[in-house]
Amino acid sequence: MSHTSPHITPPKAATRLLLRFIKDELAEEVLGDLEEKFLKTIQTKTAKQARKNYWYQVIQYIRPFALKKLKLPGLRGQNPFDMYKHYLKISWRNLVRSKVFSSIKIGGFAIGIAACILIALFIQHEASYDRHYVDGDRIYRIANNYQSEDGSEMWVNLHGPLKPVLEESFPEIEKVSRAVLWSWGNAGENHIRPINSRQNIYDEGFFYADPELLEILEIPMVYGNSREALTAPNSMVITKSKADKYFPNENPVGRQMVLNDTPEDTYTIGGVMEDFPSNSHLQGDFILTLAERKTGPGTSGWCCTNYTFYLKLTPGSDKVALEDKMVKLRDTYLLDKFLEAGMTDVEDLKKHQSYYLQPIANAHLNPEHIYDSQVHGSHDLLWIFGTVAVIILIIACLNFINLSTARSVKRAKEVGLRKVVGSVRSSLIYQYLAESVFYSLLSVMVAALIAYLALPLFNTIADKSLSIPWTSAWFIPSLLLISLLIGTLSGLYPAFYLSHFNPIEALKGRATSGIKSSFFRSAMVVFQFTATVILIIGALVMHRQFEHYMDKALGFEKEQVINLLGVNTLKETEREVLREELLRLSEVENATLGDYLPVAGGAITNFGFQVEARKATDPGFEAARWRIDEDYLSTMGMELVAGRNFTKRASDEEGIIINERMAQGFALEDPVGTWLVDMFDGRYQIIGVVKDFHFESLTSNVRPLAMVLGKGQSTISVKVKTEDMQASIAAISRVWKDIKPNQPIRYSFMDERFELMYTDLARIKQLFLTFSVLAIVVACLGLFALSAYTIEQRSKEISVRKVLGASVSRIFTLLATDFVKLVIIASLIAIPAGWYLMDNFLNDMANRIELSWPIFTLATIAAFVIALVTISYESIKAALMNPASRLRSE
Amino acid sequence: MKETRLGDFEEVILLLVGILDEEAYAFKIAEEFESQTERSVSIGAVHSTLNRLGEKGFLTSEMGESTAERGGRRKRIYSITASGQRVLQESRDFKVSLWNQFPAFASGNLKIEWLNL
Repeated sequence: MSHTSPHITPPKAATRLLLRFIKDELAEEVLGDLEEKFLKTIQTKTAKQARKNYWYQVIQYIRPFALKKLKLPGLRGQNPFDMYKHYLKISWRNLVRSKVFSSIKIGGFAIGIAACILIALFIQHEASYDRHYVDGDRIYRIANNYQSEDGSEMWVNLHGPLKPVLEESFPEIEKVSRAVLWSWGNAGENHIRPINSRQNIYDEGFFYADPELLEILEIPMVYGNSREALTAPNSMVITKSKADKYFPNENPVGRQMVLNDTPEDTYTIGGVMEDFPSNSHLQGDFILTLAERKTGPGTSGWCCTNYTFYLKLTPGSDKVALEDKMVKLRDTYLLDKFLEAGMTDVEDLKKHQSYYLQPIANAHLNPEHIYDSQVHGSHDLLWIFGTVAVIILIIACLNFINLSTARSVKRAKEVGLRKVVGSVRSSLIYQYLAESVFYSLLSVMVAALIAYLALPLFNTIADKSLSIPWTSAWFIPSLLLISLLIGTLSGLYPAFYLSHFNPIEALKGRATSGIKSSFFRSAMVVFQFTATVILIIGALVMHRQFEHYMDKALGFEKEQVINLLGVNTLKETEREVLREELLRLSEVENATLGDYLPVAGGAITNFGFQVEARKATDPGFEAARWRIDEDYLSTMGMELVAGRNFTKRASDEEGIIINERMAQGFALEDPVGTWLVDMFDGRYQIIGVVKDFHFESLTSNVRPLAMVLGKGQSTISVKVKTEDMQASIAAISRVWKDIKPNQPIRYSFMDERFELMYTDLARIKQLFLTFSVLAIVVACLGLFALSAYTIEQRSKEISVRKVLGASVSRIFTLLATDFVKLVIIASLIAIPAGWYLMDNFLNDMANRIELSWPIFTLATIAAFVIALVTISYESIKAALMNPASRLRSE
Repeated sequence: MKETRLGDFEEVILLLVGILDEEAYAFKIAEEFESQTERSVSIGAVHSTLNRLGEKGFLTSEMGESTAERGGRRKRIYSITASGQRVLQESRDFKVSLWNQFPAFASGNLKIEWLNL
């Protein structure tokens, strides 16, 4: 007993805790030490602090050397580690004894998990876009929000002069920046050279922005600072990688670069920024300033909506309130400006349109479906792939369960014997759970390896640069957690099933699997094949849809058309000379100078149009407006359904050719001769109507299109006569070299650019196909092992039948029928389900195919064939077996 | 145990065992560590290290007498073994040899130190 303060003692609970975990032989000395420490502490500190310290000291004793050997409930008196070692040994022996079976079990599981790992990485990357900003919750894009009975629509483009208005009107807006992200002025692609160099180099990733953008998007700078880098007129900021390309090993701030050999387009580098991270929705390498520009981007007024707006709000400001205030501002102030600028449908705008602030984190996946000119991930796609991943995982888990229970007869004797020597059911359950976790651990390891090996392929298909985050803190632990989780989940049923056998029955060899379990197994096979057939249907539908796009009559000729790019660096007269020189070549059939192309990468302009006679009553609509020359339609193989093409006559300056869709839009019976006016009061008379052709992606419908006479600046399209593209290119290159020796020729084939518009779709198709095949493989592995098992069980029956004279084909039919029945049931479920799902999927697309029976028949037949091939190996083997060998054994 | 390397903390604990001699038991060693280094340490951490040093063969221990402050419980007294002595010696020789190769120190020419004075 203590002499100093007998009434204060160490906390009893802590002592009890210590005695619970500490080794018995250490208890005396440790308790003594801790009590001494407690008494010592009390002399200098309060009793409370001393007690707290005692607790701390006790917790600090939770160290391996001091801990008692663990005892698990239900295993009293045994060493549990020995028991687990034993389980592991038995698992391993079982694994080795039936190698094919085990490798199917582990392999199937591993393939499923590997697919999930890849999909999870993909989803994680897609979801990580634009999460890196410190003030991410205050950064927004402004979108127009049009809501009416006919549907809703959102898009980003806004009026340029809105910027100062926003800055002055709303104190909660900290910074505003506009950006021009579509091909206007020098945005997009250019030929560029440092001012003291002669060689023009093609580069892309140009866009315009206000100086504030650097600060709003918190773009880290390598040289210069983000506040001033873009403030000077004609300044630009380039990325680190471009700085290294043009000015290796130097600080390029203050250096000048010339765009497209045009002295007016000389830009001074105001700063160098870090490259945009791969998970930023905004990508690009050259930011040109909008500050104090005299022409083009940055100067358009209230007429036109050319800008994407980025905002940074002050901390704590209310986004919804600001949206409302912006609508108020528009109604009280902006509408007058719109009217002055010639807007016609003001009432409609007032009634249906509002503003929406999109959080920057949504900008990539864009769940709001805001229309802009950027490349987006797809929210729906993530859901589709996530679902596919889960389905594959379920198929793999079911395999595992199925195969484990299928082996039950083999293990029944083991269970019986264990029970006879005194094992209780709970420890048998433990054993089978441990075994299943052991298997899933092996599978996860194999899966990680498969994922690692398959990643480069996956990256190619998905056009990503993902890597497996081996070193990150969460990756390995979450893999372990997953293997524990699915090991336990898929081990539960087999564990309870296997451990329930009556030992006497089991030892007599009478523990058959029973009707209930065979029903359960059949149900699992049906589920697996239902999922498989649906995936096959999905892959087929996507393939058909894609082919449909590729083969669709587009209304223009994309074959044998070469686009000669980057001619904007030539003087206008030179361009004409080039065109004439090209026409003189024997290979060339036709050539046109036009920037507007019906494939990816063409110029885009939209104008509002009205019929002049109905100007007061009909607000008209927006249409794409192209400038083409008189050779354009013939070069592209576009067809006029009425009127005539442009000629060199001067009167054609006022002529306009519209497409059928636009004629319908105006409800014109005989459009030729009608006068139209555009939003800038330009007057045009319709001289021709062109047959509708798809000038944008086929995933949307053909929009109205109006074509006026004008020369392009950057692209010459050449229609060649021969199939021999090599020779044509060579001839064209020679002509180019004579005219523009300081710039390498750059060209593209129009059919390739056409296909480029569908790379996303092709990618989705490819991914879906890949994962469907994976699902099929996993399901087949399961079916194979299952067939091997059931056939083995029936081997005696088969032998007897053979002795009695059954033919090989008769026995094969007998065995196959069971499985074929299951596949039929699966198909019956899968066809309506697949029909419903795919119909929904296609509904979002224009020019969709109609679902037809061939797709479903093909999918069913494919599932049939796959199933039959899978089971035939074992079935035929069984049918060919010598019956004596099996019957002799007893 | 094959492992015969000596960690920093282990070395300090080993030295403290030597210093405390008859009084070298976990609580006292922890107290001494705290007062000499002005760093706090839990008794459990010291005990664990003592245990490890024992496994490496640098320490032996036996149960000592009981005292009243400990509720009549006995304490485990540690003492350094011959190999413990040797490993301490080696560690010191190694550091001295390193210091001797350090030119600023070897020549006694620590200019910055002088300037600061």
